[in-house]
Order: sequence, then C-alpha cells, then structure tokens
Amino acid sequence: MASRREFLQAGIAASVLPIAVARNTLAPIEGGDRVAFYKVIFDGRFPASVAFGEEWKARGAAVHAIRGDITDLWFHDLDLQWKKQPVAIAGLTAHGPLFCLERLAWDHGMRVISRVEQPSRDGDGQPLISWVISPKEPAPKERA
Amino acid sequence: MLPPGVNQKDFSDALKQFEEAVGKEWVFTSDEDVALYRDAYSPFWGEPEERVASAAVAPYTVEQVQAVMKTANEYKIPVYPISTGKNLGYGGSAPNLSGSVVLDLKRMNRILDVSERNHSALVEPGVSYFDLYRYIQERKLKVWVDVPDPGWGSPIGNALDHGGGYLRSEFRVHFDSHCGMEVVLANGDLLRTGMGAMPGAQTWQQYKFGFGPWIDGMFSQSNFGVVTKMGLWLMPEPDAYLTGTVTVPKYDDLIPMVDVLTFLENSGISNGMPNLGSPILGGFMMPPRAPEVTAMLERGGVQSAELHKYAQDKGIPFWNCTVKFYGPEKAIRAQWEYAQEKFSAISGAKFQDGEFYKLPLTPEQFNKVHKPEFGIPSLEMFSIGARSPYNPTPTNGHIWFSPIIPRTGEAILEANKVFSQAAKDYGLPLLSFSLPSTYWTRSFIFLFGFPITHDVATNKKNRETFKKVVRVAADHGWGEYRTAPAFQDEVMATYSFNNHALRRFHETVKDAVDPNGIISAGRYGIWPKHLRGTKA
Repeated sequence: MASRREFLQAGIAASVLPIAVARNTLAPIEGGDRVAFYKVIFDGRFPASVAFGEEWKARGAAVHAIRGDITDLWFHDLDLQWKKQPVAIAGLTAHGPLFCLERLAWDHGMRVISRVEQPSRDGDGQPLISWVISPKEPAPKERA
Repeated sequence: MLPPGVNQKDFSDALKQFEEAVGKEWVFTSDEDVALYRDAYSPFWGEPEERVASAAVAPYTVEQVQAVMKTANEYKIPVYPISTGKNLGYGGSAPNLSGSVVLDLKRMNRILDVSERNHSALVEPGVSYFDLYRYIQERKLKVWVDVPDPGWGSPIGNALDHGGGYLRSEFRVHFDSHCGMEVVLANGDLLRTGMGAMPGAQTWQQYKFGFGPWIDGMFSQSNFGVVTKMGLWLMPEPDAYLTGTVTVPKYDDLIPMVDVLTFLENSGISNGMPNLGSPILGGFMMPPRAPEVTAMLERGGVQSAELHKYAQDKGIPFWNCTVKFYGPEKAIRAQWEYAQEKFSAISGAKFQDGEFYKLPLTPEQFNKVHKPEFGIPSLEMFSIGARSPYNPTPTNGHIWFSPIIPRTGEAILEANKVFSQAAKDYGLPLLSFSLPSTYWTRSFIFLFGFPITHDVATNKKNRETFKKVVRVAADHGWGEYRTAPAFQDEVMATYSFNNHALRRFHETVKDAVDPNGIISAGRYGIWPKHLRGTKA
C-alpha cells in the first residue's frame, strides 16, 4: 500500500484535469496537450458512454471499455497500478461500476473528486454519471 | 464527535497515543476521512440514529494492534475492528455504537503462507479474496480459494461473519473451513488458537482443535477479540467440473426432490452448490414467467389448481434442480449417473446434461462461467440491473433478511406461505414464490432484500417491517443467520431459550474478557455491562 506522501505526489500530476471534466464532461480538455488520466473508462453498452470513450481516445487518452463489470479492469490493471502508485482515472458509466471503483480507490487514498449526472440513462433508467477519481488533495494540516 | 462516555481530553490523549503507535498519517479524524466508514446501505441513512464513527486508526502490524488496544483499554475508547470493511447489506464498515473508533485492518494485508501440499493458507485480515487469488495465480499453485459473491471482501472478515461461497461443500461454509487464528484481546494480550498455542507447532493450519476447549467460534460474530491472523483450508484444483439438471413435474414433487438432493449432498455424491428452480414460476436465472402464469398466481396463489393444470397441459415441469460435481471426469460422470438413479424414484423425472469443463478453464470458458464456482473473485454482480417496482432506487442498497429454515421441501412450502402472508399483512410486494439458497448442506437459507432509500419515512417503515418479519420467522422456529447492526438486538432477542441463556452467557464472557467493553459494543447483540439495557 502506498504511503500518504506517495498519494499526495501522485495528486499533483492530475490536479488540473478533473476541473475541466467537471465543467464539461464530454469535451476534451481545452488546451490540454497531454492527458494525465491513467485510464478513461467507458461502458460499451451505452452510446453516450461509447462516444465519451471515443472522444477521449481521439485526444490520446488510454481508454478502457467495460460492459458493466469492472472485475477485469480492476484485477489486471488498476489494482496493480494503484498498489505501485495511485493515479487518476475518469469515466462515464452507470452507478454500479463507479460504486465499486470508488470504494476500491478509497483503499489507496483516492477520492471521487467530480461526479456529474448526465442526461443519458443506463439499463435501469438511472442517469449515467461522469466522474473523476484522483489521489486526494492534501488536508491543510498535512501541508504544514 | 466524541466516543460516548469519553471526554475531549481523554480522547485527544488517546488519539495522540494511537498516532505514536501507528504513525500520524494512519489516524483519521477529519470528517472527510471518517465519512468513508459510513455504511453505504445504512437503513438510517441521513438520520440522527445512523451509526457513525468518531475516528479511525489503521495499524500495520500485530504489535501496533496490541498498542492501540492497550491505549483504548486505558482510556475506555470503544473500537470497532474491520478487515476490508465491505460487508454490504450487513452493515458495511460502520460500528454498532456511534462514536466508536474504527480499527481498520486493511493495511495488514500479508499473505503469510500458501501451502500447495496441504491446501491451506495463513493470512492477515486486510488480505482480500482478490489478493489471495492473485498470489495463487502468480505462483501457478493448484489450489482454489472459496470466494463469496461479490468477492472484494476479506477471507477473515467473511469467515468471521459466517459468510458462504460456491465451491465444494466442505469449503462453502467459510468459518468451517478456517483452521487456527491469532487474536489480540481487549487488554492487548495476544493469543493463538488450536495448534498455534504451541510454540513451534508445525500443524497450525492442519488441526483445528489443539488441546482443551475449542474457542475459535467465540471470535466469530462477536466482540471478544481482534482477529489478526487466520488459517484457511483451500480446495485442491479439481480435474473437471460437471453439472446436470433434473426436472420433476408436480408441485408436491418438491418434497422428494429435496430429500434426494440432501441425500446426495450428505453422501458426498453431489459436492458442488446445487440450484433449485421452477420452470413454471420463473425467477432468478430462469426464463421469464408467462403472463398467464402471473395472472393465475395472482388469482389463486402457488397452490392454485388452475396453475397446476396449466403446467401439466403445457408439459412444463414444476421444479428443477441442478446438481454440480467437482473431481476426476470418470468419477463425476459416475456420480451424475448415480444421482439420476436416485432422482428417478420421482415419477416423471427427466434429466439434462449441463456444463462440463476440464480444468483449468480455457480463456473462452473463463469469460462465460459464473466465476465464484471456479474460485475466481468477481464484482460482476454490481453490473446487474436491479430496478423494479419493489426497489425503485437499487443504487441506495439493501439489507438482507436471511432466515435459516429446515432442509426439506415441506419447509420451503411452509416458509413461502408464512412470508407471503407477512407480505400481505405488512404491505410488502407479494412474492409469488421464492426458493432458498443452498450454501449449507444441512439447512436452507432464504435471502430477501429489503430496499434502502434515501427517504427517511420509507426507511423507517421498512425498518419496522423488517423487525416484524424477524419476529414472524422466529415464531415459526426460523432464525436469522446474520444481520445488519440496526437489527442485531432484535435478532439476538429471538434466540431466547431459557430466558435468553445464550445472550446471558455471551454477556458473562464479554464481562470477563473485555471488562471495559471497548471492542465492538453491541455487535451481534452483545453489549458491555455499562451500556447493557440502555441500547438493547
């Protein structure tokens, strides 16, 4: 498990990106030449999510498709990466995948720092959610 | 928030000592950090009664756990140990007693041993099923770990809460398949159970009982100590896996079908987890029910003569049972053949061969199987849509009503009658018919989800209804196997033989091993002396 210091260092690299995503979840980052998300997650079952993934891929992001189930993404990728160093990810998914990823991310000192319901719906009729998971910001007392 | 009965100075002093023991960065006191320990499926969501922590401390070693416990004992700080803290539907990471300090053991995630020769493991509480599976896969060991579904929790936590899995029967009851544990007591003392009590013992994970009273059970569903290591028995990777399905035509055939199944399981013939189903009634993992069947059920219930005639006329069997086998191909094909002989005693029984895999699975097979039946942890169930008129907001979670009933067809029919009546009486959506789960070979368990909402009035109504059905079940001799903290007092109260002799014994033990009542106050209805009667 990474130390809190490692969490904070990882947070610096990703800190500017989530704000842009929160403003406009589908748009590429304005003026961004590099994509600092380790992975951008989309769900192949939902057209809006597929479009989201394609847009990020066109901007050079590493994208990962799921179909509701994040097990493969977790076991073969994120678990290994986050044990080495927690890094930011983003996605447009239904609630279930985000619910899992958020809790798994907590165990690595990460947080959901942006969560926006979208007009498109999942198979249960619930809104899809665009989100960003990132190493958490340092608390004031830790900056001192 | 302060722990109940603790003043600010003592709490601050204790937190400082926690920081000295584990490092400042591993004591969590900010609202943001402490909020992570809320129960995502709390039936008190957003109400003053929601059980919340005051702080959390995350030790890395058993010595640090001992130091934390000594401090907590000195200052009488209530602590609530968790392993990986998932436990959704049964309380999550949240303590029974608001203001407790969560003792988060996730950092203790060492896999200390996996023996391929003896098919066993020794792990710490922060090890997840995924961690153990990865360890086994990376070393290409020929052993499987029995995983629950979903599989992101901790083998220790799941075993201590009496969780179940999907492999061969002797591994499915996770507490039964543990072997030896290490426990930190309330005063910081350290003990090992079974053969672990003997310094230098070579058989800690091979013989459970050691010498003298076997006390491991006292640390499950309890608050007598903090388990910091546990041995697990693993399943040798089998050569092959086979399933077969029997269908029987008539409503009353459920009774002999269950009897044959129980015989096959208790004889070790069918060793995988069976499934019970009804082709006519439909249900989970079954074809959808025909609309005319729904109409007949609404008119006359499951015993309706109209429904039975419909099933017969259409040639639709009333029940089915899928039996599963792990072992050498020759052996399991013979076991299936023998199972068919036994089921053939039921007039009209028909058989269908199911899945057959030589193991290990190919990548194509891997992608299509129900992974827990192959010892593979999965989170797939979170991708299954669950929205229904009964549960319009499944994303808010659920709590499980999970009574144990006898392992007979008669009990299934009786329980359905009783719970259908309860549903009518208490305004719950009517369940046409439910079949139990088959984790255990000696009993059945029903798993009914009660939805959680973020509406206070609805949650309040659901909590009251939950308590009523717990009582209804108990009046018929059916007890809950596990429940969320919100209902543990009510469930414990139903185990009331001889004026609650069992609970009184639990309390006697609690007073002896944790006289300050600092560990998990209220867990499974066991309150420390100073809170007894005020909470229960």
